[in-house]
Order: sequence, then C-alpha cells, then structure tokens
Amino acid sequence: MKRKLIFADFFRNNGALMGSILIGLVAFWLIVLVILPQISMLDYSFRFNLPPAEQGGPKDVYTLSNYQHLIYGSDETHQSFNTIDLMVFLRTIVAAIMVTIFDIILCYPLAYFLGQARGMGMARLLVVLLIIPYWVNEILRAFALRIIFGDGGLINEALMLLHLTSEPIDFIRHDIALYAGLGYAYILLMLFPMYNVIESLDRNQIEAARDLGASWTRIHRRIVIPHAKPGIASGSTMVFMLSAGALATPQILGGPSSLWFTQLVYQWFNNSLNWQQGAAYAIVLLVATITIVMTIMKIFRVNMGDIGK
Amino acid sequence: MKSPIVSRIALGLYFIIFFGYLMGPLLVMSVSAFNSPSFPSASPWECFTFEWFSVLWHDRHIREGIYYSVIIGLGTVILSVSMGLAASIVLTQISARLRSVYYTMIIAPILIPGVVIGISTLVFWDRVGRFLGAGEGSLLDGLFHNGLFLTILGQSSFIASYAMLVFVARLQRFDPGLTEAALDLGASHTQAFRKILLPFLRPAIASASVLAFLASFENYNTTTFTIVDYKTLTTVLAQKVRLGINPSISALAFAIITLTILVALASEAYRRAAQRKEAVWQGKVARPAARLWPAWLRGNPAAILFVLLSFTIIVAFGVAQRYSPAQCKIAAREAKQAEIQRSIEELRARRQEEAPQAPAPTTDTAPAGSGAFGNVFAPGNLPGAPAPEPAPEPAPAPDAPANGAFGNVFAPGNLTTGGDN
Repeated sequence: MKRKLIFADFFRNNGALMGSILIGLVAFWLIVLVILPQISMLDYSFRFNLPPAEQGGPKDVYTLSNYQHLIYGSDETHQSFNTIDLMVFLRTIVAAIMVTIFDIILCYPLAYFLGQARGMGMARLLVVLLIIPYWVNEILRAFALRIIFGDGGLINEALMLLHLTSEPIDFIRHDIALYAGLGYAYILLMLFPMYNVIESLDRNQIEAARDLGASWTRIHRRIVIPHAKPGIASGSTMVFMLSAGALATPQILGGPSSLWFTQLVYQWFNNSLNWQQGAAYAIVLLVATITIVMTIMKIFRVNMGDIGK
Repeated sequence: MKSPIVSRIALGLYFIIFFGYLMGPLLVMSVSAFNSPSFPSASPWECFTFEWFSVLWHDRHIREGIYYSVIIGLGTVILSVSMGLAASIVLTQISARLRSVYYTMIIAPILIPGVVIGISTLVFWDRVGRFLGAGEGSLLDGLFHNGLFLTILGQSSFIASYAMLVFVARLQRFDPGLTEAALDLGASHTQAFRKILLPFLRPAIASASVLAFLASFENYNTTTFTIVDYKTLTTVLAQKVRLGINPSISALAFAIITLTILVALASEAYRRAAQRKEAVWQGKVARPAARLWPAWLRGNPAAILFVLLSFTIIVAFGVAQRYSPAQCKIAAREAKQAEIQRSIEELRARRQEEAPQAPAPTTDTAPAGSGAFGNVFAPGNLPGAPAPEPAPEPAPAPDAPANGAFGNVFAPGNLTTGGDN
C-alpha cells in the first residue's frame, strides 16, 4: 500500500510521460542489465554441462557438482581437496588485500600533502601529472612494467651494474612484477578519494591540535585519519575489488606457473567451454569479495553511501 | 618532525619514489618506442628510429580494434548516460526510507568484478535467446550472440553507475523551485524537463559522456567475455602483449600519452584564458594591448606549452619522413654479428665434430613485403634465448621514403652467417 503511494507521488511530480521514461530506464538497467543476468548466472552455476541436445531433458537437473569441483576436485584426481584451485583462490584474496594496504600506505602522505596545499600552483600541476597515467590503458601500463621487469629490463640491468646480483632476477616468475603491476594499476583510485576527503578538512583543526601540544603522529591518528576514513574506505574498496577481479594484469605480468582466480574463470569459459563451471567460480569470487568488503566496512563503521564520493 | 631538514629530505625522497613508480614505467615504455631492437627494451640503446610508428600505422588488427572500440564506446555513452541520468533524477525524488536501499542498488554494479558482469551478460542473453525460441541463425539469435550488442549492454550496466555519480554531484545544486515555477506557469512536464533541467545538466552530461566513453574504451575484463568474435582495441592489445610483441605497442602508448598531455594542456589553457577574460571583463586587469603575441598566450604557461608541444610533434613528423637509421643499424648489426660469430666459434671449438645446430636462415624465406619485420627474422635474433615470436601479422611495408633501411635484411652480412652453418 505504501509502495503504491510512492509511485503515485512520483508520477504526479514528473508527469505520466517523463515518469514512465525515467522509471523505465532505471528498471531496464537494474532488472535487465544487472539483476536478471546475475540470477541466470547463479542458475547456470547449479547445472551440469550438457550437450545442447540434452538441455531441458531429464538429465538437466540442479546440482552442486560445480562447487564441489572447486573444493574437492574432480573424481579422477582422487585427492581429498582441490588444492590447486583453492590455493589460487586464497592467493588472489590475500594478495589483493596486501596490494590494497600497500596502496593506502603509499598514497596517504601524498593525499595529505595535496589536500593541505590547496590552491598552490605546484599542487595543481601534480594533480594534472597524476591524471596522465590514469588515461593510459591498463594493458599498456602492465606492458610498461613488463619492459622494466623483464630479463634484460631496466631493473635487472641496474642491479647488475651495481653488482648487487650476478644473474638477472626473474621478477615475473616470482610474481613481484604482478604485485607491482596491480598496485600500479589502481593506485590513483586510492589517491583521489583520499585527496578529496582530506581537502575538505579544516586546517584550523590541525593548527589547534598543534598549539595544544599534540604530537605529529597524534594529530594524524586523532584528526586526519578519522576525517579521511570515508575516503580511505572508498579507495580501499575500489582497489581491493578491482585487483581481486583483475584479468589483464595477471595475464600479462603473472608468472607462468601461478594463476589468478579470474584466469581460472577465463579458462573454464574460453578453453574448456564449460560455462557452468566458470559461472560457479565467478559466483564464488563475487560472494567472497563482497563479503570481505562488507565485513571490513562494518568493522570500520563506514556506510555504503560513502563509496563513490 | 624532529628537524625541518630531515623531514624535508624525507618528503622529497617520498615524492621521488611515488612519481618514479607512477611515471617511470611510462617513460621507459616511451623510450622503447624509439629504440630499434625488435623486442621492446630501453636499456641497450641501439638506434633511434621511427619505424615502430609506421608498423603501428599499418597494423590492420589495431585499426579494426579501434574502429569497433569507437562504435561500442558511442553505444555505451548513449545507453549509460541516459540510464545514469534517469537513476540520478529518481534518487533525488525517492523517499528517505527507500533511499539507502536504492543507492546501494545503483552503486553496486561498480563493485561487481568486470569478469562477473561479462559472464552474466553472456549467459543471460544466451538464455533469453533460447527462451524466445530463436533458432540457430535467426535474426534474434544473431543479435543475442552479437559481440557488439552484448558488449554495449555489459559495459553500460556498470558505466551507468559512474555516469550517475557525475549527475548526482550536479543535481545537488539544482533548485527544484525552478521546475515548479515552470509547471505553475503552464509548462508540461516534458517541457519543464527539456527547458529547465536539461540545460542545467548540460555540463554534467558532457563530462559523463567523456567519462563513459573513456571507461568503455579502456575496458577489458567485461569485453573479453562479451565480445565473442569481434575485437576491440583492448582485446587486440592484450593478445599482442601476451603472444608476440614488438615496440609498435610502445609507440601506441607513446601516442596516447602525448595525446593525453595535449588535451590536459589545452583544457588548462582554456581555463586560464577564460579566467583572464573574466578578470578583464570585471575590470580587475587592464585589457592587454595588442602586441607581438596573441593575447591568449600571455601569462598562460599551459597555452605556451601546448603550442610548443604541437610544434615539436609537427617537426618530428617532418623529420620522420626523411630520417632513416640505416647506417646506425648496419653498424649495430655488424657488432652483434661479430659477437655471435665469436660465440659460435667457441661453441664449435667445444663441440668439435658436432656442428652447432644453428637455426636455418629464414632470411631467404621472409616475404619481401614484410619490411620492418624482416629484422625479426634476422639471424642475429635467433640464437638469443627468448626468441621473439614471429610478430603477429606482418604489416604491409611501411612508407617508401623512410625504409631504405629494410633492404639490409638481405645484405651480404646476413647471408654469410647463414651460409656458414
């Protein structure tokens, strides 16, 4: 009953034509483009991978086997757990968290500096400088790191020139290149929300705290960080979700023996042509990442409304 | 904060690290676009060359990719901007109780991993096609498995959220009283929307469109699933980078970086000029007298830089038409060959009887038209451990004037090496 009233209000405010166009567009977006695809993917993940002739037939029933495959592996391997895929999953999540923390630490000082030096020509120039790498394609950025980290790349050459190492270090095999690349790819999504929030902090608060004898660390712990919390949360959420869901960077910079979880999904879809299995893995990724983000937001008491500011 | 000098140094060091991390890779990549070795690298500097730009220009796959990327980008802009606009208008009118639920729903697509969006779109439309009973090869079936259609829908589903954020920021400053006044004066709702709200939102529509286009152009995670048998620039690039690479990709990156800097400078220059005009108009600054320099250049470092950079690019174009690194390349190849010869001899001495199984000379078989790629097949590259993959799709020979150098693939020096083995 309440719902109907809201709709009636809405149409009275906007007129019949505009009201239905607006509602229609939003409904198309949310229902047809977002909700229904997710539901059908969920549905897919509970089905067997059948040849087209048997689809809809008696064998087309719901099953948990796709999820069992992630945990226990296929029947042929006779292992108690599917250690390979589970390790990939765990590594993806842990590495994404580490990348996020790395980006927070690296960005905070600069965000503070830029946010407090408002109006200075230098700060403006820095912001313009920061935008340049942002518009360069993710793939090209990963490629740039590959040039640097390669066997004959700049870093190995420099290390050998300084006699720190005699053999070139295989950064790609050890995944150092991958972690550096992920941190690099999304660092600006951490910086800009933090900068926006810190910019709105009243300078007088810091001055007052300093006059009252607060130490430098205390000012940050008690004033700047609490104020910047929504920005940090927003940036962390973006960086974590994007690095856990990254596909291009691991494909380009990942070592030959180690995979990212999205690469498993990609393989199920494009190499094995087993969409059902791929959908199940994608659901696991989606649920896991969203759960982690929600938990952390709850712990740090941040609202959903702070995201995207 | 122990002493100002120490903290100054620490701050400077931190800045160097941060910007080194951010800019260093791009710088190295840009340098490698002008280096002649066929595997992109900056450090063993060989010869300054423009050939990778001409390879890039003649690459059919990249051209096609850009073409489809633009089509998809335009479709995504239209769909996502209108959906984002509608969603933001609804957000301003929705009751407080529903507001947070609704906001969570329209912001959530940003947080869904792109891979998941791609898969769900693909799966859903496949299902819709089957539900509607669209047979193999029918019109609907073709549409629902069409890469362009799927990619536009998949990308719009989350790019609309970005557009929505832009509109929400602008709508916060809108005075709903204006619309009410128009309605009171007898305008219809549609008229009020078109004459009041839309003009107010015009800047936001422009920036949301740019944002949406760029986000669509850059997208890889969703596109790689939904594109099916088409290709976009990003999927072509990803394929090239994963398989064989040559510095033409660096050349592309360099072009993008230059373009970005140009646009950034232009918008900064425009902003300054507008500010100045405003100041003159308000009488704060004296109207500049006409002199040697046009008025918009003075006191506007961004505009000066813009002009200088454009000038440099034009000059570089001119030079590139004439410049040919032939001499330098011959020298570099000879030096390399001498080294290879030496190592082969060493190997030969060690193995005595067993003649080293050096790879057969591919020089003779290399198609005469493959121009710049001839170097890939030069024997000098083959014994090296990471033999570059044969460059994908040899491009047609670059422009005639610049490539007198490429005939050297067949220079006697190369052939004798082959003949020795």
